[in-house]
Amino acid sequence: MAALRPLTIAVLIKQVPDMNAARVDRASGRVVTSGQLGISSYDRYAIEAALRLKEAAGGGEIVVVALGPATVKDAISRALAMGADRGIHLETADPNEADTLAVAAALAEAIAPLNADLVLAGQTSDDYETGQVGAQVAALANLPVISNVVSIEREGDEVLVRRDMEDGYQRVRAAFPLMILASTGLDEPRVPSVKGIMGAKKKPVEVTPVTLPSAARLTWETPYVPPKTTSGIIIQDVPASEAAQQLVAWLQEQKLV
Amino acid sequence: MSSSGGVLVVGEAAANGALRPVSWELLTAARTLADALGGAVTAVVAGVDSATAQAWASAGADRLLLADDANLAGLLTGPAAAMVQQAAAVAQPAVILAPGTTAGRDYAPVVAARLGAGLAADCTEVTAEGGQISALRPVLGGRAVSRVHVAPGQLAVATIRPGSYARATAGAASPAAEPLAVALSPDDLRVSLVATEAKGGEGSRLDSAEVVVAGGRGLKEPDKFALVEQLAATLGGAVGATRAVVDAGWRPHHEQIGQTGRTVSPKLYIAVGVSGAVQHNVGMQGSDAIVAINRDPDAPIFKLASFGIVGDLFEVLPALNAELARAKA
Ligand SMILES: Cc1cc2nc3c(=O)[nH]c(=O)nc-3n(C[C@H](O)[C@H](O)[C@H](O)COP(=O)(O)OP(=O)(O)OC[C@H]3O[C@@H](n4cnc5c(N)ncnc54)[C@H](O)[C@@H]3O)c2cc1C
Ligand SMILES: Nc1ncnc2c1ncn2[C@@H]1O[C@H](COP(=O)(O)O)[C@@H](O)[C@H]1O
Repeated sequence: MAALRPLTIAVLIKQVPDMNAARVDRASGRVVTSGQLGISSYDRYAIEAALRLKEAAGGGEIVVVALGPATVKDAISRALAMGADRGIHLETADPNEADTLAVAAALAEAIAPLNADLVLAGQTSDDYETGQVGAQVAALANLPVISNVVSIEREGDEVLVRRDMEDGYQRVRAAFPLMILASTGLDEPRVPSVKGIMGAKKKPVEVTPVTLPSAARLTWETPYVPPKTTSGIIIQDVPASEAAQQLVAWLQEQKLV
Repeated sequence: MSSSGGVLVVGEAAANGALRPVSWELLTAARTLADALGGAVTAVVAGVDSATAQAWASAGADRLLLADDANLAGLLTGPAAAMVQQAAAVAQPAVILAPGTTAGRDYAPVVAARLGAGLAADCTEVTAEGGQISALRPVLGGRAVSRVHVAPGQLAVATIRPGSYARATAGAASPAAEPLAVALSPDDLRVSLVATEAKGGEGSRLDSAEVVVAGGRGLKEPDKFALVEQLAATLGGAVGATRAVVDAGWRPHHEQIGQTGRTVSPKLYIAVGVSGAVQHNVGMQGSDAIVAINRDPDAPIFKLASFGIVGDLFEVLPALNAELARAKA
């Protein structure tokens, strides 16, 4: 088989709070996130996909790009520890205050000089879940975009990918340069090795301050927790048989059995 | 754009040639919005015959644009975005409503980026009060909602989460189907459709079952799913699973419920040994009643539960199966 050309791959990563640790504070009607920050789930699949493409070609460069506050350097370090080659940190205040098109414009501008063969992003972020930044970067960078990707096969200067859709899987083909939005189903993201973590410290990270336009097309209100319509019954510290009886009585009362 | 107060609504055909239910739901949203804004509703759709399109448009549209182009098969982002953009050039809307399907959530951001419009994705409600267009959308793993306001005078693009609105019903009269010839540039055609493959588990009982009993890693081993199967059988329900047990090979992929599996909304959902991770919950939180059995009182699943039992599933399930048998007798 002919050797594969090494690729330049940009991976867009967002730092988000750990959503499984988020709790609802009913008194304030707000969601309290734990303070634990990490790389948004799908973005980790995107990094893994980039690493595999690099390994298959025996070379190439992976640049991770993240827009956000100073803490974002931790997300970049982790991506570098996984094996990415360098980072670009677009430093700004909370990107969730901006509208996605402004975020996408800043990201598109940052990746333009890379002339990347492939830009990878996550399908959707864990916190704001708009699922639009990736597609908008593609639109602004005039790249074709393939979303919901669950497998990637490289064939020379083209890729054959599978997309997870409502009616089944779509198999589509496109040539580089292009943008792929990663979904789970791609290979599980690797955990950085100790060597990777040590090596990451020596990899370059370029920090560029950016100011997002204030005249936004969209303004967001602080998320609130909608009032709960039903308050649940919780049975605790009773023998299993009694718990089962109470449940069956409740199911009958609710006409569920 | 945006002066007419009109609404452009994009329908979507399923693989079987019928329109997805969300297409009809969008017309309900579009009619309400257009009435509030004093504009007209223009409907656009591809991949259906004119009778199907007209039946749909009769449910609330003033004008119908029908695109028919082989390149629109599979609604790949390039051609679909071109279609919507060109329909918008015809309709000059203030708001574009697209379905919150995989395809809709792909082309909407592209259209919004090209038109410089404000985009709100996966909304459960879009309103126009005093001309101010706002949308409500779930964030933070469905725990909270956020209201987004589109700056006045800006074109707004919104994708609507399926199931958020009632379906509009077909009316007596339909606008004529005006053909929309979509001009596609080579750039729009850079991605080509090779094939569409079935996922397996089609027509799965999970999609229509009124009762779903889902098992998670708390069951410890695949054989223990017999307890879940027994409960599902007694209640006439279907078996569901978390990704943890699907990835472990205990259950087939088509039983997976959640973000990367199926979305179900039965009358009764029973979660057994399921922690209630965000990615699981998004696939079941629309259920009418949720019962959780878990030995960890802090498991997030209890936050969703209408009825929760904190206890060992290996004791509770046999007791429950016995109690249900007794109640039936
Ligand atoms: C991008 C992404 C997409 C994902 N998509 C999905 C998806 O579509 N669907 C999905 O389900 N997950 C999905 N996940 C995975 C998800 O985050 C969780 O890891 C998964 O749902 C956990 O499965 P579980 O509840 O079976 O296992 P665990 O989280 O391990 O929970 C097991 C539970 O069983 C309880 N338990 C243990 N023993 C007993 C006992 N004897 N009696 C009673 N209770 C007991 C424990 O207290 C625990 O709460 C996704 C993750 C990512 C990152
Ligand atoms: N601030 C950001 N910095 C870098 N990438 C981002 C940022 N926000 C979003 N992305 C990328 O866009 C994807 C979709 O995000 P979202 O539109 O917020 O759902 C994420 O998975 C990331 O790959």
